[in-house]
Amino acid sequence: MSNLKKYNQSFTDTFSLNDEKKLNDLKYNEIDEWDSIGHMTLIAALEESFKISFETDDIVDFSSYSKGKEILLKYKVKIED
Amino acid sequence: MQIDTQSKEKVELLSNKIRKKILLMAYSAGESSAHIGGALSTVDIVSTLYQLVFNISRDRFILSKGHGCLTYYAILNHLGFISDEELLTFEKNGSILLGHPVKNKDKGIEFSNGSLGMGLSIGVGLALGYKRQKKENKVYVVLGDGECNEGAVWESFMCANKFNLDNLYVFVDNNKYQQTGSNEEILVNNNLSEKLKTFGWNSNNINGHDVNQINKFLTDKVENKKPNIAICETVKGKGISFFENNNNWHHSVLTKKNYELALEELDDN
Amino acid sequence: MTIKLDANKIKLYSQIGTRATFGLACIELLKSYENLMICTADVSTSAGLDRCRKKFPNNYVDVGIAEQNLIGVATGLSDLDFKVITTTFSPFQTLRCLEQIKVNLGYMKNKIIMVGLASGLVLGPLGFTHASIEDVGVLRSIPNINIVCPSDSGELIKSLEESLLSKNSTYIRLTGGSNNKIINDNDYKFEIGKSIELLKGNKVCIISNGQIISECLDAAKKLNEDGISTSVINMHTIKPIDEKKIIEIAKKYELVVTVEEHNIIGGLGSAVAELLTRLKNSPPQVFIGINDYYEKGGNYFYLKNKYSISSDKIFEKIINTYEQFKKI
Repeated sequence: MSNLKKYNQSFTDTFSLNDEKKLNDLKYNEIDEWDSIGHMTLIAALEESFKISFETDDIVDFSSYSKGKEILLKYKVKIED
Repeated sequence: MQIDTQSKEKVELLSNKIRKKILLMAYSAGESSAHIGGALSTVDIVSTLYQLVFNISRDRFILSKGHGCLTYYAILNHLGFISDEELLTFEKNGSILLGHPVKNKDKGIEFSNGSLGMGLSIGVGLALGYKRQKKENKVYVVLGDGECNEGAVWESFMCANKFNLDNLYVFVDNNKYQQTGSNEEILVNNNLSEKLKTFGWNSNNINGHDVNQINKFLTDKVENKKPNIAICETVKGKGISFFENNNNWHHSVLTKKNYELALEELDDN
Repeated sequence: MTIKLDANKIKLYSQIGTRATFGLACIELLKSYENLMICTADVSTSAGLDRCRKKFPNNYVDVGIAEQNLIGVATGLSDLDFKVITTTFSPFQTLRCLEQIKVNLGYMKNKIIMVGLASGLVLGPLGFTHASIEDVGVLRSIPNINIVCPSDSGELIKSLEESLLSKNSTYIRLTGGSNNKIINDNDYKFEIGKSIELLKGNKVCIISNGQIISECLDAAKKLNEDGISTSVINMHTIKPIDEKKIIEIAKKYELVVTVEEHNIIGGLGSAVAELLTRLKNSPPQVFIGINDYYEKGGNYFYLKNKYSISSDKIFEKIINTYEQFKKI
């Protein structure tokens, strides 16, 4: 599975979303499911998927779908369209 | 609206009956002593409530000032929950009727009260629960004035306001005395009615021995979703002249002589 | 049983920690119990309950920072056949409203489940106004209240489910933080009052509960490698304590060690000792826990070391005591 597919799946699985097209604009706290619990669940899903462990600062900074892609570069994970 | 003469007389008869039962229990308690003064001051509130308004199959009553339990036991006796024989076991070994109420649903004793400041909170929980269940049940709580020293009471006042508990009716038995002295001497807590207004309650000062005023508080419909409180000006020891405003009768032994003198006064009424 | 526990879920719950797990569990429980009420004292987000508050507003009550009223209101609700769970940080859940707990839960036996958040040492950086080392000891002396200290997030879920079925009130003591250690990595049977053997040995028996069990398991591993055969028992329920198991332990082992993230006065160690001392023959007991004093603040790791309840300090204490006793 490509990194993009894995990345998207973490979002759709965690937030029970059907529409991958809306992912690009997704931001923390803008949908009900992406609250503080949803956020930790997403982080756990991404860590599992990419076999990485986020630093606390990065967990706090991970404020949107697009920002997340930037952060993952730090962990040598490139999400390509 | 004034209540009719017949209803008023029924309440007064009930109050007289309750006062006699209070004396009987206190006398039979002997050297265990009894909280006489603080029971007598609540009698008219309780008899008006139960005679004219309370719906036994729907409403709830909490005597948060639990040491006033002689009144509570007497009304439960009147309603048939507690027998005449059981009343005489008050404060005796193994009795179900102790100096503060101990929960016993079969006998109509809903909760264990007596540690001051805790009963209103339970009342708030009941009132909130009925709202959440969309039921019409009402909750009535009697607090002592000294009891309002307890911070927990004020937590409950704030909470009732938050949840718009207009099904909650609270009486403060403002008899001006607490255990070891007057409210003025121990801890001043005046202007309760004004204070409760600022806490978001429908708040009234009434004469706690006037049946009409008590009934008006209970029946006047105020459609503003606020909880309801009556600061009742009462007399500690009300009904027997040598008990009235005499704090020695807060918790004391009732001798045969005093019992008979007191009964005489009640019989004259 | 309403909430399924599989390896993936267990991993997730461990990562998000007990408080967030509690929030998720409440949502699941509310789907099964429509008469369940969750009551808090201004800790919604701290207890992972924000989602619960939004999804089930009719089953959620926040009384503000007023813990005495919290228990009173919960009592009124419980009288109307609501199932009630209250929660706030441990010290406030247990000490601020202790008299209400005594009268309403103990004396009147109104059933309430109380969840104490972040008990033990995990809030060490905030100081001991927030860290809690007294809660078990204080509640133990009130009749009619179960006391359970789950070892991990999965066990928290099981504790909640069993508490809902119990006829008594229950205090559930949560320890550890996020990314907590997984003690039970698969689904298993959990019963209030029935301890669980995590590791089987025959010379030394460590009895413990809560997240500190992870330190005990590490210590036991080392002891076993050093030839001192050591068991680890998850005594998750301090009250009613598993007397049958403790009597078995007394017959079988040379040394009993209790380990707790709590004062050694009044908690698990005391509860075990109270039983051992009534037996005609019982092995000596080592009390490992907080030695009845308040440390300076510090993080979880720092405080476990300072209080000698880290795995290497537990190991040292046991091996030294065992050798000492062997010489006598």
